Amino acid sequence: MTDIKHHAYLFDATRCIDCRACMVACSVENNIDMDKTRIWVAGIGVKGEYPDLQRGTMVSHCMHCEHPDCMSACPVGAYTKAEDGPVTYNPDLCIGCRYCMNACPFGVPHFDYDKGIIEGAFIDKCTFCPQRIYNGQEPACVQTCPTDALEYGDRAELIKIAHERIATHPGRYIDHVYGEFENGGTSYLVLSHIPFSELGLPALPETPVNEVSEKVMEMTIPFALGWGVVLSGVAAGVNIYNKKKEKASAEEKVEETK
Amino acid sequence: MTKMISRRDFLKLGAATAGGLALGQMLPPRVAQAAREAGQINAAGDGYVHSMCEMCVWRCGLIAKVKDGKVVKLDGNPEHPHSRGNLCPRGQSGLMNTYDPDRVLTPLVRVGKRGEGLFRQTSWDEALDIVASNMLKIKQKYGAEAMVFSSTHNLSQVQFENLLYAFGSPNYGTQRSLCFNAMITAFSLTYGVEEPARKYDDVEFILMVGRNMMEAISTSETSELAHAIDRGAKLVYLDPRYTKTASKATQWIPIRPGTDSAFLLAMINVIVSNELADCEFVKQYVVGCDGIQAEMRKYTTQWAEKITGVPAATIERIARDYAAAKHNALAHPGWRTSNFINSFQTERAIATLNAISGNVLTPGGCLSADVAAEGEALGAPPQPPYPRVSALRLDGTPWKYPLVPLKLGVFQELRDAIITGQPYQAHGWFISRQNPILSLPDRAKTLEAFSKMDFITTVDIIMNDTAWFSDVVLPEASYLERYDPLLPVDGKAFIRQPVVEPQGVAKSALWIYKQLGERLGLGDYFQYEDEEDYIRQQLIPLGVSLEEVKEEGYAEMPEEEKSKEITFNTPSGKIEVYSETLKNAGFSPWPTWEEPPMPKEDEFYLLTGKVAQHTQFGTQNNQLLHKYSDEPRLWMNARTAAKMDLEDGDWVEITSQVGTAHSLLLATEAIRPDCVYLTPGYGHLSKGLKTAYGVGASDSALHVTYTDPISGGQALSQTFVTVKKA
Repeated sequence: MTDIKHHAYLFDATRCIDCRACMVACSVENNIDMDKTRIWVAGIGVKGEYPDLQRGTMVSHCMHCEHPDCMSACPVGAYTKAEDGPVTYNPDLCIGCRYCMNACPFGVPHFDYDKGIIEGAFIDKCTFCPQRIYNGQEPACVQTCPTDALEYGDRAELIKIAHERIATHPGRYIDHVYGEFENGGTSYLVLSHIPFSELGLPALPETPVNEVSEKVMEMTIPFALGWGVVLSGVAAGVNIYNKKKEKASAEEKVEETK
Repeated sequence: MTKMISRRDFLKLGAATAGGLALGQMLPPRVAQAAREAGQINAAGDGYVHSMCEMCVWRCGLIAKVKDGKVVKLDGNPEHPHSRGNLCPRGQSGLMNTYDPDRVLTPLVRVGKRGEGLFRQTSWDEALDIVASNMLKIKQKYGAEAMVFSSTHNLSQVQFENLLYAFGSPNYGTQRSLCFNAMITAFSLTYGVEEPARKYDDVEFILMVGRNMMEAISTSETSELAHAIDRGAKLVYLDPRYTKTASKATQWIPIRPGTDSAFLLAMINVIVSNELADCEFVKQYVVGCDGIQAEMRKYTTQWAEKITGVPAATIERIARDYAAAKHNALAHPGWRTSNFINSFQTERAIATLNAISGNVLTPGGCLSADVAAEGEALGAPPQPPYPRVSALRLDGTPWKYPLVPLKLGVFQELRDAIITGQPYQAHGWFISRQNPILSLPDRAKTLEAFSKMDFITTVDIIMNDTAWFSDVVLPEASYLERYDPLLPVDGKAFIRQPVVEPQGVAKSALWIYKQLGERLGLGDYFQYEDEEDYIRQQLIPLGVSLEEVKEEGYAEMPEEEKSKEITFNTPSGKIEVYSETLKNAGFSPWPTWEEPPMPKEDEFYLLTGKVAQHTQFGTQNNQLLHKYSDEPRLWMNARTAAKMDLEDGDWVEITSQVGTAHSLLLATEAIRPDCVYLTPGYGHLSKGLKTAYGVGASDSALHVTYTDPISGGQALSQTFVTVKKA
């Protein structure tokens, strides 16, 4: 029903008016408890000294990473990165270990301490509104945004739009599309007029953290096997040496007794 | 962007799954019967219904998603010109108004003292009999004028007015004098239109005087402004506070409160004395172009600098930038313009700026003075003429306020006349969808006026503060549960229709007014069987069936023939920068400077102004909005706070001439050092509002009543307060 190959968001901080329609829309669409939220407002708020002031707010929710750290940290495979973008979470598999919370560089997964282990669902985060995007609708937060600060579309297309926007308005934006490469890329892209750190976004290397860790982890078996060979070799060598030594000493003894 | 799935596609899905169900037995109880009959909701109680938002007066079109007979989501209707597929946070939270656990769901009759909150539940029959007999008693004893009626902007207001005119009372209170009297009176006198439409398509330069569009959201207009800024249009924004609109402006000018008109008059002076105005347009269409140079000469930028605190060079530059944009410049008329008693002059200066930039009525101009008379194309139930009313209006229009349009009135003056009993004593008050206890300035006075009443009835969906102090409370169905009269917007008549059945025994305003009218012997004025019949009568001239409108969400209206000749609905037929009408009433015929009062050294201007998550005094109990709005606090400049030994988060006591309130302090850079700001609508008195009760402080407990003699507007920023640690 949709021609989008890779679902993604584009957030433009210069357009956001911090009205929070997205937060209410998400809460209603996904029937979130009154004391919880899947979207929150990050950023500096008002910065500077009267009357030289600046404001910066960011609509924060799951970045839907291309190489999700939550997924690689999860010991039971509760997270899935769909080929078309969304990072989803399966509460039925979750054991409540909270590794994902430590792993996520954006602090997205939230543990439900009220429900905890007994009631089953532990972690809450943005689902990318599958009930909407696979029925031809925009995600709830995007659809309602009165200033188009949040947009939705194909990742490659949004990256193109973002770069065009930077080029059209020189001086307005920081010349960078956050999420194009950070941590190996995210499906939530950000344009900003203030440093990304002031929107609460961490500086991340282009190589995904988990790619490094996964490479290391991939080495485990060869490494273990290699060590096995080395140790076996050493053990064999020691054995031969010992045997030779024994033989020699036996010969010595024989000679002595002669 | 992808397309919305059409409602028909869903209906097909619905029809496929609904076949063969044992109707009646299987149906959930709360599916809106009408929507089901129209096929919008399937037998399982699922579907999508077009209707209209009522979380503010912008009235966006919405599409409600219904599941198992309950509303589960509201989306903006992409076809509606006010929503264009978007909804603001209030619109998104609308279903929580319907499912508010504090809803009043049966008629209530007071059993304790007023304000004690003790009521007994009763039937509609008994409640309506009590209301009608009390109203008739007052009419017989003191005359119809002893009954006061008041209501705030809503689609059923036409039938509310029908009830009051048929009853024969001249005393009608609306929110208007607390809101936009200054703007409407000024633009009516200058252009002959109440509120010119703004067009942002080609705008290059926008001047906004306290119009906090990014927080006082009108979805489509906020969107248009945001896109204009995004496109590169310049926004100059005057406000003593660094609001979210200020943060999007090219230049934010933290002007001294009450001095906007000095700034604007100096701008006009720069433009006319340097001959930067659109002379051709001005000569042809403006009265006063001959004398304006001489008249404005005294308003130099140096003079304005002393008053406003804005450097003369800045005013000069802004005036030149504004003039350079020609008819692509827009000086926004504003909305709630009840700030100072000189706010009428501010609005006159704004009207003048637009006139001299030639942006009115010129092709591509940013202000449209077209008079929309779309409502006339709709039908209406027949009714006899209203009885003649000879009593004076208690609110002083027109005998004390000759230029205030009758439909605007002066609500605060009406309240004061109830207390003084002059020119006569009022005895009863019928209130619908309004919360005067919180909205009128000087809450103590409003409560005193209530104490003068023999009988008070309130129609509302929740136990708001005014209902809490009433004798009878009539439960209205929420906007997702009822019909209202059709609303024409841009050539289409849009419908508000029930998305779900009313809870309890709540009823629509159309039903309540008719029932009450019949009991008052005024049945001839309410010639409609029910809500659907009312709308059918409205649709007769259009030749469209109700069923079609329910399905589409609107009916097409006939295109109006527009006259090519440019005339203005003023005595001269031109834009009256110079107004004989004002002169004859004893006021300055030119836009002029009136010095507003200033706070003493230890006092602050008390400012008010909206946040994006709330509308006036009626949404603070909405749990979703409560969840996502900031805790209301008293804003004070951080350095001023430090000087006063106050810290962010301290409890402070705020005192004005008429009252005291307590609040947490927000020490912030985002406000002038001589001002404090309080979010309006908090500090509820009703314990029947379990979410909102005990949250924040009431600005109405502090506001002093000051009325502008020309427009009748209440001066809401003219109250000065002292602040100390509580």
